[in-house]
Amino acid sequence: MGSVTEPFPISRIAGRYLLFDIDVISYARRTHNTCGVLIGTLPNLSQQNVFLGIPLELMPEEARVLIERGHAYIVDDEETHRKGFLQMSREDRLAYLQYMDELGLEASMESKRKLEERAAKALKGKDLSSSLKQKHAGPAPSEATSNGDEESLFDSSEPGVQPKASQSNLIPHFITPATSYPPLSHPPVDRGLPLPEVPRSYPLFRYMHSKGYFSTPGLRFGCHYTIYPGDPLRFHSHFLATGLDWDEEFDLLDVIGGGRLGTGVKKSYLLGGEDPTADAVTEQSDNGASVEVRPVRTFSIEWAGM
Amino acid sequence: MADEEEDIPRPVGANQEDIDLTDETQDFRFLDKLTVNASGAASLPKRGQKDFESHDTKLQSDTLEASRQAMHNVLSWTRVHTEKSRILGMYHPESNMAYVEKVKTKHFENMGKAKGGKEWLLPEEALFLIERGSMDCRWPVNKSNGENEEELTIEDGAPMSLQAAYAAFIGFEGGVGGKLTLEMFTVYSGLKRAGYFVFRAGCWDDDRGTLQPLAHHQDPNKAGGYLSRFFTEIWRRISTHMYPIPKANLQFGPLVKPGLYRSYADVYRLLQIIPTHDRTAPPKFHLESDPNNPFRIHYDVYKSGTGKFRKAHRGPPDFRVAVINARETSLPTADQLNDLLATTPYDPASPQDQMYKKLKHGSRNVILAVVDNGIPSYIRFSDSDFSDIKLYERNGRIPRGKGGGRGRGGGRGRGRGRGR
Repeated sequence: MGSVTEPFPISRIAGRYLLFDIDVISYARRTHNTCGVLIGTLPNLSQQNVFLGIPLELMPEEARVLIERGHAYIVDDEETHRKGFLQMSREDRLAYLQYMDELGLEASMESKRKLEERAAKALKGKDLSSSLKQKHAGPAPSEATSNGDEESLFDSSEPGVQPKASQSNLIPHFITPATSYPPLSHPPVDRGLPLPEVPRSYPLFRYMHSKGYFSTPGLRFGCHYTIYPGDPLRFHSHFLATGLDWDEEFDLLDVIGGGRLGTGVKKSYLLGGEDPTADAVTEQSDNGASVEVRPVRTFSIEWAGM
Repeated sequence: MADEEEDIPRPVGANQEDIDLTDETQDFRFLDKLTVNASGAASLPKRGQKDFESHDTKLQSDTLEASRQAMHNVLSWTRVHTEKSRILGMYHPESNMAYVEKVKTKHFENMGKAKGGKEWLLPEEALFLIERGSMDCRWPVNKSNGENEEELTIEDGAPMSLQAAYAAFIGFEGGVGGKLTLEMFTVYSGLKRAGYFVFRAGCWDDDRGTLQPLAHHQDPNKAGGYLSRFFTEIWRRISTHMYPIPKANLQFGPLVKPGLYRSYADVYRLLQIIPTHDRTAPPKFHLESDPNNPFRIHYDVYKSGTGKFRKAHRGPPDFRVAVINARETSLPTADQLNDLLATTPYDPASPQDQMYKKLKHGSRNVILAVVDNGIPSYIRFSDSDFSDIKLYERNGRIPRGKGGGRGRGGGRGRGRGRGR
């Protein structure tokens, strides 16, 4: 796992906040209880929706909390890429192509090594390795041919003939990298970019985040956030949260509906809002960033079922 | 008093078939155990039980660490193309599309458009192919460097990273007047992963879709010979009181005049005096044409696996999907819904279907894909014909449904003095 230096960049593309670097994704999850939503297709596993991959879409709330606390900064990825690739110099391009060739050759060697490993394992499993090795001294390995197992036949004979695959006759694979760094260098921190625009449920989100809770979008349960006591990889969620304004009037039926639904799925319904009349407190982060917050009150609602 | 049964919260996950695996964050340690069955539904053999809350044990933190590590490993997979299987594409900044010169995989059976000897991919198609690791897309070479254009091939372009592909195909969309948003792409790729064939609906560049007129269906009553039709008509006139009741008479009543009524249906028909929306009239837009109206059909979706599919002659789609951003859009107003449904074709349920199914199916329908920050949820809106499908005209036996409850006493109905 690579190391991440703070503040890390968050890509802004068409008004959405995305992470492409796996190290940053893992880091944000471990260190800043920010899990976002994976929206990408996993290569080679592109016919299912259960496990998804990079990129990770951050809620504007998540991006804003990370930026307010000085852990991250926004990068305008459209501008960066327009400059970086559409106006790329010849030297940069050739250097990049050569770099990709090197990576491709590595990948090619790696896949060859894996193929050999697998073949050796398969042979071992069938207890054929010893008999095949003996056969190599003789003419054709007729026994293996009769097995009809083409893969093991091919792979077992080749390393026998050429003990080490020479690099020169390997065709480098082509690689689509996940991020654009390299060839682009990380853009400098630009404080001029506006903070992500957040809905009015943001105070509740920030409050729960500051208490160490993990949040995911609440669409599936018809609320603003589904709130987890720990990493959603390991824990069930506890709350279906809806953030409201302090004096906002809302339908009593929402409480009934939320309360019943929440109880039905072993969670409780959470309402919360920020008190605008209270004095703002300045919260200081470890890295010197400070943010003014007002107290938030929360109420948990459960279907009593008496 | 409400049903007691309703008050008891059902235990979560009691019914295995109800579990939607995409609803929860799945443990990446089980990725290699994922199986996709013939119907396309994914299943995990036995899921690792999650915990309710932290209990500060080493076991728990170790399990979490293992899951995180597994997730990290899976997300680190690189997209590698071998010479044999790769699709080499080229980004075209002027149209924000990509083109492929040599088509050699099955992907192009249900995406892309041939033009000028090249296969052109729409932004979402190109991005999806890059993301699933099928396409090696390249940036065009910067021509201002004074290089000889003729000698350059696609392979001389810099490879496009996944990040760059998102920046280009989603981010540059506005610059060329395109309309693809990240939400639309989320829905597109989700449906593609689920095995559907997805195409842009015809009206992306227009301010709104086109009205879909009523289809002319043959009236089932008109079947049969002239003679039998004549007698049917005579009998209908004798037996029903279909003439409209003058408004003045309604003030004094009675709605049902004394007379010969051969069935309750005839009486009910006379009681129907409240006008309802006429679904046989041609559809109309209620709102002015507005390019910013979020409620429009974005995708035509086809089920896969139904024989040979040809993208050039693909026929009417199985589903029509409109993509809505949950954070920016609220529920459609009646007028917006009317205008959206008016752009879907008239598609009534089969007359043989049961009543509930007919009502659920409606005469026109559309699927709203509501996306909340990367999570899509699909909702079906249909125009239910309560005025056409009448409870009192329901003929024959009571359907024996599972939830019949009281209706199960089928014996009672049979004993009603038909004297068999």
